[in-house]
Amino acid sequence: MDDELKELEAELRRLRPAAPSAKLWSGVAQAVVNSEKRSRRRRVVAWWSPMAAAIAVAAVWLGGRGEGGAEASRRIASAENTATPETSFKPVAAEKVLLASQEEGYATLDDGTRARRIRSLYLDTIVWRNPETDASLTWTVPREEVRIVPVALQ
Amino acid sequence: MEAGSSDDDWKQWFERHGPKLLLCARQWTRTLADAEDVVQEVFARYWRHQRWLAGEPLALLVTSIRRAACDLARRDERRSRREAQTEVMLGEGDGRMFETPFEGEERRAAIERALRAIPAEQREVLVLRVWGELTFAEIAEQLDVPANTVASRYRYALVALRERLKASDTECHGR
Repeated sequence: MDDELKELEAELRRLRPAAPSAKLWSGVAQAVVNSEKRSRRRRVVAWWSPMAAAIAVAAVWLGGRGEGGAEASRRIASAENTATPETSFKPVAAEKVLLASQEEGYATLDDGTRARRIRSLYLDTIVWRNPETDASLTWTVPREEVRIVPVALQ
Repeated sequence: MEAGSSDDDWKQWFERHGPKLLLCARQWTRTLADAEDVVQEVFARYWRHQRWLAGEPLALLVTSIRRAACDLARRDERRSRREAQTEVMLGEGDGRMFETPFEGEERRAAIERALRAIPAEQREVLVLRVWGELTFAEIAEQLDVPANTVASRYRYALVALRERLKASDTECHGR
């Protein structure tokens, strides 16, 4: 290519194509916003199944307050069956940590029995794992529990 | 565009490359409005599905724009008439192609007139090479012609453009 053509080529490269119209800008902006909304919706759906299963496990597991480890394991196992079929996440660990406990005095039950009222604050953690992808989901939530313990008079 | 591109990232990117994409789209569409529709559709699709891909996406977007423009032409049963309608595609009344350069408005108008006048197949290669920033190999793939043909068309385009600009200069100074 001779020098004259190279000069022309350089001049062309310096030319800036005309800017897109305001209509195109707003159309693209709208498309990007819609795309973000759609992908957010997809993320919510993707998380919903394991989350629903986690909530189901939590409900079953927390229902058995103060029960032994064997019973808790049984409940986790049964919760596996409540997981929606499309999810392959499985609960692999559950833990509750007692953060604080406070005696709130005595209460009288309907049958006249005296009972202690104890308020406890726990931190519950449930870990889910997808064996296919090794992805894990950890669900941690604080929980307040009030227990009524009948007083045995001696 | 990098993974996790934010709202501002796309604006910056589109501000820089949007004009080039639009100019490329105008090579394959009948009107400026059609070109804008194609760019919008392609960019939206890219943003939704491909923005996480590594590397600079300009070449990918130019490819997608050409495909979308061809689809549009097919939908409108215009494809067979595309070459015949070249002059309509880049008609004078369809908006300017470039911003005013340092050399002035007169020079811009002369270049645009010359570009509109050269054969479509040459202009297409010139636009893809200069403003689409594609290599000869990439253009060859796009147009499904040998790379040597692309290089020849590019050279012919520059020569034709130079001749027309010279003629235009002579006209201006001869007045």
